[in-house]
Amino acid sequence: MRRRSLLQWMASLAAVLPLERVRLFAQPRELTPEAIRFMHELAPTVLPASIGSARIRQTVEQFVAWTRGYQEGVALAHGYGHPRLQKSGATPVPLYLAQLAALESEARAKGASWSALDLDTRRALLDSSIAKTNVRNLPQRPSGQHVVVDLMATYFRSSEANDDCYRALIGRETCRTISVTLVRPGPKG
Amino acid sequence: MAVHESDICIIGGGITSAMLALKLSELRPRASIVVVEAGRSIFDAQNRGRYRERAIHYGEHPWHDDYIEDQQGKGTISMTMAVGGLALHWGGACNRFSEEDLRLKSMYGLAVDWPIEWKELERYYCEAERRLHVAGEPSPYPGDGRSEPYPQPPIPLSYNLQILKQWAETSGLKFNSLPMARNMTPFDGRGACCVYDTCGEVCPSGARYSPDFTFRQLVQPKKITLHDRTLVRRLTLDAAKPAVVSAQGFRQDGPSGDDGAIEYRAKTFVIASGYCWSSHLLLLSSNSRFPNGLANGSGLVGRHMNGHKFIGATATIDAETFPGQNMTHSLISREYFRCRTDRPFVRHDTRVWESSSGREPRLRSPEGRLLLGDEVMTDWRSRTRGSAVRLRAYYDIHPSTDSRLTLDAANRNRHGDPMPKIEHQLDAASQAREGATAEHIRGVFNTLAKASNGRVGNTNTGDYLDHPGGGCRMGTDPATSVCDSFGRTHDHENLFIVGAPTTPTGGCTNGTLTFVALTLRSAEEIAGAHGR
Repeated sequence: MRRRSLLQWMASLAAVLPLERVRLFAQPRELTPEAIRFMHELAPTVLPASIGSARIRQTVEQFVAWTRGYQEGVALAHGYGHPRLQKSGATPVPLYLAQLAALESEARAKGASWSALDLDTRRALLDSSIAKTNVRNLPQRPSGQHVVVDLMATYFRSSEANDDCYRALIGRETCRTISVTLVRPGPKG
Repeated sequence: MAVHESDICIIGGGITSAMLALKLSELRPRASIVVVEAGRSIFDAQNRGRYRERAIHYGEHPWHDDYIEDQQGKGTISMTMAVGGLALHWGGACNRFSEEDLRLKSMYGLAVDWPIEWKELERYYCEAERRLHVAGEPSPYPGDGRSEPYPQPPIPLSYNLQILKQWAETSGLKFNSLPMARNMTPFDGRGACCVYDTCGEVCPSGARYSPDFTFRQLVQPKKITLHDRTLVRRLTLDAAKPAVVSAQGFRQDGPSGDDGAIEYRAKTFVIASGYCWSSHLLLLSSNSRFPNGLANGSGLVGRHMNGHKFIGATATIDAETFPGQNMTHSLISREYFRCRTDRPFVRHDTRVWESSSGREPRLRSPEGRLLLGDEVMTDWRSRTRGSAVRLRAYYDIHPSTDSRLTLDAANRNRHGDPMPKIEHQLDAASQAREGATAEHIRGVFNTLAKASNGRVGNTNTGDYLDHPGGGCRMGTDPATSVCDSFGRTHDHENLFIVGAPTTPTGGCTNGTLTFVALTLRSAEEIAGAHGR
């Protein structure tokens, strides 16, 4: 009798528990040290060597910080003209971990560590991994769809990258006095 | 039920409400004024830098909870419902309409004339510019004469805009720095512009005017009372005469045990709820004596919903610019604000911005090859020669009587009130000239582009009306209008409507300054009704 009550109680609990939320709660919310190590290994392939190893390392750290700062269920910009309420989705960390693990394992299957593979092989592996998503271009900011594309967006969509591209000190979206903007931007590097 | 009594009850908490409350508090310092706003106050200006960072890096909305999920209409341009309204995140553009907007019927036989003289409105434009602390320079077109200088010098042109001005003026059009409500130096408790370049989202320094600053300045010294998170659902009338006696509201933060109901009693009621919620409240307030809603003897409440259409384009030109200097500032030409009466009617503004369109980093080459590392940078640099330029024209169209806001029985809020549904319809003349207008504007863009061996790439036509207004249009005849030029409704002498809803037509440039100017004029009439 007691056992039946317990089973009934468990069944009713299962019915009312927000299982999806429980499942999401059980997901990893931080990139593991192994994943971060692999991202550092992978970053020189996808970020420009011309920015130097220190900035490549910083970009990975910035991206890892981005994943830590990610908040779920927050209202996103609801737009103007045709407004729509959208909220941020679940943390992309589990997807990122799976994508990184798959890339590392595919690299091993080729008989080498990531950095020991030739560029064409690395490109092919990344191409195949990205093709599994809907990503067609670099998003304006990390979009949570592909870890490598989002790492690239962290740099290429930054104000610093804009300056690197134009080789000029433009400082897009940085706080500066208006007088700075009145003259041709000084050369960078 | 809680009851709140005041001399003047202002319903709505956007930019026109802020300007009205401010001016009334100056003109009638002893009058008790309450502002009732459905949304919440977001007065944490100190956090805006952080919100901006989150918006840039995560796409989060920088105005947290500035909307009420079940209080949304169809056909609206923004979800925002908060103290400050849409002007919490406007760009700050402060263009004036022109005299032609007020004389469409008598000059061109189109739409209607406004019941106000240009010279008089111009005085209130000056006042609006002073209060919003607009940075601007006189238009190079003599027809745009002003009776007072701008309160601030113009926003200086960035290097990019200097280059683009030189290019654009080769076409023969004259351009000037867009007038904006943006502090060049600290003013009125707000900081100076730091070119954060996110004016249309959030301004961390407060340089770009937003009404929350005005409300804070009014609330702290108790010049007004602000009831936020309080939705006014209906206006009720005196049993014997057609005067409004109360506004029935629901407050979300009432004392515990309270059912949330609150009644506002006042001598004068002013609806300052913008283009959508003003008509909506009047229609919701129908009763057995006024079955079509209040102020609706003409049957025109919720009709003549207006705004302007727009065409945008990206041009590519030879001159070199550096995208990212000051992307939210722009050039404006008022060349086509005026239209000769012996030519086909076309009126529009012409705006020019720096742009990086088509010059963004990309993931793949045109052949589809995945680009990596320096390949991305090389590809990106190869596409930065010359410049992209963003062009846009707001053009003048006029609403038909069937351009409507109606109550949508299929979409109700938590109280069961039907929500508004806006469906814009152009009048026959506007529809007939649409093709010619688009052709004319594309011609202007092409002429601009050719000045630098350039060409116009993507052209797009907006699929909504910007800076919407109407629904309670002003006029002298109670049979063809809802209110007089001061916003006083023809049917209820103590009920006013201010700002966007009173406009008969939507002009061909940003409307906010006009909405504010009209409201400041209404303020004097409303104050007049309250003695000294």
